Amino acid sequence: MPASEPATRTLISPAQLNRPRGRAVYWTVFTVVVCVFTLVFLGPLYWMVTGGLKSTQEIIQNPPTLFPRHPEPGTYVAAWRHLDMTRLLLNSVYYAFGALLFQLVFDVAAAYALSHLRPVFGRAILGLMLATLMIPAAVLIVPQYLTVVDLPIVHIGLINTPWAIWLPTVANAFNIFLLKRFFDSIPADLLAAAAVDGATPAQALRLVVLPMSRPILGVVSIFAVVNVWKDFLWPFLVEPDPTRQPVNIGINSLALNVSQNEIIAGLTIASVPTIILFLIFQRNIMAGLTAGGLKG
Amino acid sequence: MAALTVSPRTAEPRTPSTGPRTRGRGGRRIRDNLTAHGFLLGAVVCFALFSWYPMVREFVMTFQRTRRGRTTWVGWHNFIQVSHDPAFWQAWRNTVEFTLLALVFGFALPFGVAIVLNEIRHARAYLRILVYLPVMLPPVASVLLFKYFFNPDSGLFNAVLRVLHLPTSQWLNSAATAMPSVVIAATWMNMGSAVLIYLASLQNIPGELYEAAELDGARLLRRVWHVTIPQTRLILSLMLLLQIVATMQVFTETFLLTGGDGPKGSTTTVVYLIYNYAFNFNNYGGAAALSVVMLLVLTGFSALYVRLSREGG
Amino acid sequence: MQRTDLRRLAAAATVAVIGLSGAAACSGDKSGSDGGSGADGSAPLDRNAKVTITIDCEPPTTKPVQRKEWTDDIAAFNKIYPNVTIKSRDASPCEQPAAYAAQLKAGTEPDLFYSYFTDLGTALDAGQVTDITKYVTPETVPAWHDIDPSVLHTFSDGGALRGLPRNNYKMGLIYNRKLFQQAGLDPDKPPTTWDEVAADARKISALGNGINGYGEYSAANTGGWHFTAELYGLGGTMVSAGGTRAAFNDATGKQVLQNLYTMRWVDQTTGATQGFKWPDLMTNMVTGKEGMYVGAPDDITYMVETLKGNYADYGMGPMPGGKGTLLGGDGYLFKKGLTPDQIKAGIAWLNFELLTPGKGQFDWARKKADGLPVGLPEPFLFTGASAEQDSRNKAASATIPLANYKEYVGTQVPGRVEPPHAQEIYKVLDTAVSAVLTDRNSNIDHLLKTAESQVNQVLANS
Repeated sequence: MPASEPATRTLISPAQLNRPRGRAVYWTVFTVVVCVFTLVFLGPLYWMVTGGLKSTQEIIQNPPTLFPRHPEPGTYVAAWRHLDMTRLLLNSVYYAFGALLFQLVFDVAAAYALSHLRPVFGRAILGLMLATLMIPAAVLIVPQYLTVVDLPIVHIGLINTPWAIWLPTVANAFNIFLLKRFFDSIPADLLAAAAVDGATPAQALRLVVLPMSRPILGVVSIFAVVNVWKDFLWPFLVEPDPTRQPVNIGINSLALNVSQNEIIAGLTIASVPTIILFLIFQRNIMAGLTAGGLKG
Repeated sequence: MAALTVSPRTAEPRTPSTGPRTRGRGGRRIRDNLTAHGFLLGAVVCFALFSWYPMVREFVMTFQRTRRGRTTWVGWHNFIQVSHDPAFWQAWRNTVEFTLLALVFGFALPFGVAIVLNEIRHARAYLRILVYLPVMLPPVASVLLFKYFFNPDSGLFNAVLRVLHLPTSQWLNSAATAMPSVVIAATWMNMGSAVLIYLASLQNIPGELYEAAELDGARLLRRVWHVTIPQTRLILSLMLLLQIVATMQVFTETFLLTGGDGPKGSTTTVVYLIYNYAFNFNNYGGAAALSVVMLLVLTGFSALYVRLSREGG
Repeated sequence: MQRTDLRRLAAAATVAVIGLSGAAACSGDKSGSDGGSGADGSAPLDRNAKVTITIDCEPPTTKPVQRKEWTDDIAAFNKIYPNVTIKSRDASPCEQPAAYAAQLKAGTEPDLFYSYFTDLGTALDAGQVTDITKYVTPETVPAWHDIDPSVLHTFSDGGALRGLPRNNYKMGLIYNRKLFQQAGLDPDKPPTTWDEVAADARKISALGNGINGYGEYSAANTGGWHFTAELYGLGGTMVSAGGTRAAFNDATGKQVLQNLYTMRWVDQTTGATQGFKWPDLMTNMVTGKEGMYVGAPDDITYMVETLKGNYADYGMGPMPGGKGTLLGGDGYLFKKGLTPDQIKAGIAWLNFELLTPGKGQFDWARKKADGLPVGLPEPFLFTGASAEQDSRNKAASATIPLANYKEYVGTQVPGRVEPPHAQEIYKVLDTAVSAVLTDRNSNIDHLLKTAESQVNQVLANS
């Protein structure tokens, strides 16, 4: 019975598990869990992938079929073309990684300044930033939207530009909190030593702080990308131009205009990149999630 | 309104001479401060524009009304108007119903699943990936899938129920079952992260505690009650608060599944009502008033969360 | 044409009662922005003038044929006006309420922006519309005198014309000819009163096999929308003449709900599944489970193009009751601040594409050649000679059985526009319609009374 991870003592003792009755119960539970999980979590995905292969009549018929009667892979091609999936996916990538870049640059710099450079009013600024943690995002949607429509003082509108998505993500107190706390744990002596060697604050950040901060930067990056990729209401409001919409919004706008099997094929296509990314980076993503979640 | 504008310039001090208690020569101090504020600038501008200023503006807007491009002060009119809207109370009832249901499914269920998963010695990676997979899907994919499943006539769920000779449901098409259906979809979409967070905290429980409990003759459920739950109490309470704050803001799920209202307004949530006031009824003042009410309700939970997470962190 | 009920339903809500608003004079976007000297204001566009205009609602990539026709038309237009550059934006749907409100607020709408008839108030509110009255003449729009005045009326505000129409429709009764035949009914004789609807529904439901005689929407504002159309059919009105009070709590309003109640609970011809919204009933009709429902002609296009049904299977009759029906439509408004040349170029393009019998959207021969359906009773923008010419053209190229819509086209039912604050009012009435369809013990008097007071509140708050 090779365990996939070193067995630490959990709720049920290894001794109990090794008894014949314990084993029987274990394997029963195991089988049930694997079957139920596969059905519950993979079942819908199976239906989605095969749904894209069914004909329009077959997909709206009652009762539904388990296997496509005459699989039509052409539906996927049609969905790709009709929904303009290339553009939608590229838009999503552009928004997600742009947001990541801005957050990494601005939030890291700010957290570093607050942690080690200690400017005047630093504590007040930090306090104001952290106070926004207590404001639920949905509450600010309306005034934020009006701000993006017409920025105060400069009177520039950001609607239909990527800035409308990128810049608000920088105002993320959670990032500042995570980063600052991590930077706080870097000994001041290290930075002092760098300063003695003639390093400017920027050099110290680049040469000393950042190399030590990979884990936390990973967490922040994953959240940054996933949040933008999954967001709905905000891009729905600020990117009304269909050529600029991310995949979430674009598919939904077209959902009633295209036959159901094509939409389902489109959903499958839209899901593939995230599933692949997830399978590649699953360890980092899960680790980042628990780190962020636990400490958040 | 202009007087209340928090501009990035005023929020960001340009006069380091007011900064007291800094050691070293004046010129050096000023230069250090300028450098530090240079590092802060990008984030501060973004916070000012997209958090601080909107917050102030929201409160101002609650007392204003705009018609044909002209803005007037209307006192408490917006609050009075929204509180007389029957949809207001319905939206709050629906939101609380969603939150409570989501707590049963989205809070208790993942904890149970995590406890079971933690005992399983095989195929652990596979099971974890399965649970977390829906979290990674674009929400529009998950939601539209469930929308098709819920269709009372041609949907998968009723087809399965018919095969099993169980009573079928109207799912999203009936006022009584619309909100529970939304909760089912939302739980499927979101429970993965909660399960993984619980799993991580379960793995931090020292094995000796279970051994000691066992020596005391504690059986399975008692061990859960006396060891597992107390040991994960902090994370449980954090997740509870997080869950409350997140679920009270539900929008995407109901908006995509039922168009927002649902049968007889049964899935109208507070955030959807805010959306409706602002973007369909063109009543930004009313939307701001609704937002402020929501803010007051949720701030308590958020504050508690922040306090707890600082203690525990 | 390719528009859907949902899109027109999605119209933003702040809507002036068209033609009733006497306050037009103070909309304040006239001076300066129309530009141009009064003298040459009405002259057609100078062919040498170099102009660029932007326009939305280009057919989306999901409609490749229509998109190609649009592009071809621009090329043909550029043969006449080589110096006009038309930049198209596609959008699908052409209008979404949040996006529409957003573009007006931000001023990012294109020069010619797609709007429903009911959007004019919202656009005026945002101060984003230009007065084009003096530019639209028989010289710039040759079919001018044949355009249905009631259609132009919907895009006018206090006598000032703000836009040009693209499409219009009247609601009627859509029915399944196949099921009519199976039930022993005459598929060429759709019911014209609610008693006949109920009687036919009983016969269709008797076919069994999960088939319902009649279907009704009751969610996402579509219930209130259909209530309005059916109320108009019985001669009722939604709001009082001044648009200040609800006017549907009377015998006709009761009759509308009573009809639905009878079909749902006494005759049991609507099935147990309720809470439908656009486009659920179309799906049911395509799968052969629905006998009749209230809808607009382009529902049939949707059933065929998107849901892959057959034109032969669907017919259309007039709105039961026949005293009136809901009229809707869409077109383009002109953005504030355009130069006179831009306005003229815009009018020239819209005239070319949308308002010339035999050309653009009325080029039925090309549509037939491209494999698009020809013969639906929509749009009907023209009267007089242009209308006759268009009907002849359409009949010559018809690809779908015109006879299926004979009753709908042949019966003169006066069209009436949506009430002010339509979406808010529809939302209120959704609840009443839904209650009747889901609660056997629902009290119609009480439902109407509640709805009336809520609608009064909506109107009072505006």
